[in-house]
Amino acid sequence: MAVVHKLHVTNKHRFIGFVLIGLMVYILSNTVDEWKAFQGATIAVYVVAIASIILLTGYTGQISLGHGALLAIGAYTAALTQIYLQLPVWICFIAAVLVTSLFGAILGSAAARLSGPYLAGTTLALAVGLPSIANQFSFLGGEQGISFDVGWPPLSLGEAFTQYKWFFWITSLAALITLWWIQNLLRSRYGRTWRAVKTNEVAAELAGIHVARSKVLAFTVSAGIAGMAGALLAATINNVSPSAFPLALSFSLATGAVLSGVNTLGGVMIGAVALVAIPEIASLVSDRWSGSESVASLLPDFIVSALLILTVFLAPKGPIENFRSRHVK
Amino acid sequence: MFEFINTLLIGITAGSIYSLMAISIVLVWRSTRVINFAAGGLALASSFVGAAVLEKTGSFWIALPLAMVAGAVFSAFIEFFFLRPLLKRSGDKGAEIFLPIIATLGLLGIIKTILSYIYGERIGSLPPPLSDKGFIVSGESIALSPMRILILGIVLLLMISLTLIFQRTNLGLSLRASSFAPEISRLAGIRVDLIRTVGWAISGAAGATAGILQTTNGSGSVAPESFEFSLLLVFGFVAAVIGGIESLVGAVLGGLTLGIILAIILMYVGGSLVFIAAFLILILILLLRPQGIIGAKGGRRA
Repeated sequence: MAVVHKLHVTNKHRFIGFVLIGLMVYILSNTVDEWKAFQGATIAVYVVAIASIILLTGYTGQISLGHGALLAIGAYTAALTQIYLQLPVWICFIAAVLVTSLFGAILGSAAARLSGPYLAGTTLALAVGLPSIANQFSFLGGEQGISFDVGWPPLSLGEAFTQYKWFFWITSLAALITLWWIQNLLRSRYGRTWRAVKTNEVAAELAGIHVARSKVLAFTVSAGIAGMAGALLAATINNVSPSAFPLALSFSLATGAVLSGVNTLGGVMIGAVALVAIPEIASLVSDRWSGSESVASLLPDFIVSALLILTVFLAPKGPIENFRSRHVK
Repeated sequence: MFEFINTLLIGITAGSIYSLMAISIVLVWRSTRVINFAAGGLALASSFVGAAVLEKTGSFWIALPLAMVAGAVFSAFIEFFFLRPLLKRSGDKGAEIFLPIIATLGLLGIIKTILSYIYGERIGSLPPPLSDKGFIVSGESIALSPMRILILGIVLLLMISLTLIFQRTNLGLSLRASSFAPEISRLAGIRVDLIRTVGWAISGAAGATAGILQTTNGSGSVAPESFEFSLLLVFGFVAAVIGGIESLVGAVLGGLTLGIILAIILMYVGGSLVFIAAFLILILILLLRPQGIIGAKGGRRA
């Protein structure tokens, strides 16, 4: 067995890491064009959403196939707060997080009694059902949806500062703060409790952990983060409508979580980038080699699906864990 | 009153089709502890086979059995080449049900894209083989047509034969034994791996039937990106969960409950609330009975 020199990583190191990532995003935002800035913002939104799934599934062992619905709740809350209460944008975001957490707490108290297939079924039904409510009540705007506008970038940033770059900044900042908070939370008492519950429920209970309560808490936190992601998503597309939250969104978030490695928060970028990059790569490939329109439209789905199966087979714990375990043997 | 009976009839027909899909999901869950989202894709693929056979031969009575065979073969293929190696690798721990779910979601995506590639914009046509005009009772047309009777008849026939297989044959005994205690069954000389593949094959046949009946009962045509099939998959799964996911009887009860309640809501409340109603029914039943209508608390049923 090889001797492993384990670097002692303190919270200070991690903070410096986060600042460096932030700096990289800042430099990146100044060099890319509008379309790339929009994609960057989308990646940041996915990072937040996938992090919420990883927290729930990877750290507490509860399955959710319905996080798209939680994103929808966050998005609608933000938009409704803005339209009907005319509050400043940052309060809309807070409202989105609070309302979605509340919903997550209710859902979580049902979920804490369910396991495995039952939980998967419940969350799946939620993902299918919830967005269609918007068609029933007129204040939710039906198919067209309602608008959510974070406004133009402040003038102090200069004339050349574009709208999408502004979105990119907002979403990246939100993503960095959220990730920082989650990784601290996972290292806290709560994080350890969750991991204990996931590893062995009976043992955790015997050690004095209130299993049901800690599961509900995890669902609440995860839902709050998902609500944040939803509000951010609404901000980048300026609109909230049922069609923005199809079942496919819930599935692609689960996909992103698996590609990231569902047990490690550190891989969250991989899944988010993959979700945005795959359609791009697919269109490049089909342009070059076939030019057929049907191939171009089908290739992204095919690549994502194939990648999913490959990941499950080759790196079931995610790329990062896989790499780590191979090098620490 | 008349309207209510019609609603009930519509609900029972739809519910019986959901039951078949639920049975397909329950059979896979019992044999390998996997939630098979690929079942929706398999049903879709077999319905295309059915449509192709119908086009060649012109007979629904040849198309349906061939589609069932196709469904069984597809399903066994997937079990043999994907799920078996996957479960071998993860070592049957059972706790990690997330990965197989994701694998079957990936398979669903691949099946759908392959079908879209082959068929493109073309659709498979599966018109009702019998009249779908309702019988006339005291001057008014009721929601019971020869076609609906056929659907109920096929579903009933399948359920009776499944029950007979499971209760009266050696194969059924092996199926129950290897889902109840795989290790002990292996020691008793049952080829558990083979039996699991058989379980998947039966599930595929049930799914194919559900797919064909859903199409003939609905729009009469099948497309790769069909909304009807997404509904079939989701409602079939919800029905299976309501029924306790272990039990065939539960799957049937779950499917009928769901079908009837959704038909009532569609009729009296509003179309866009149907989906959220499915969620509310599910969560209500699971809160009252977390193990489903039939599922036993604690131990597993064979």
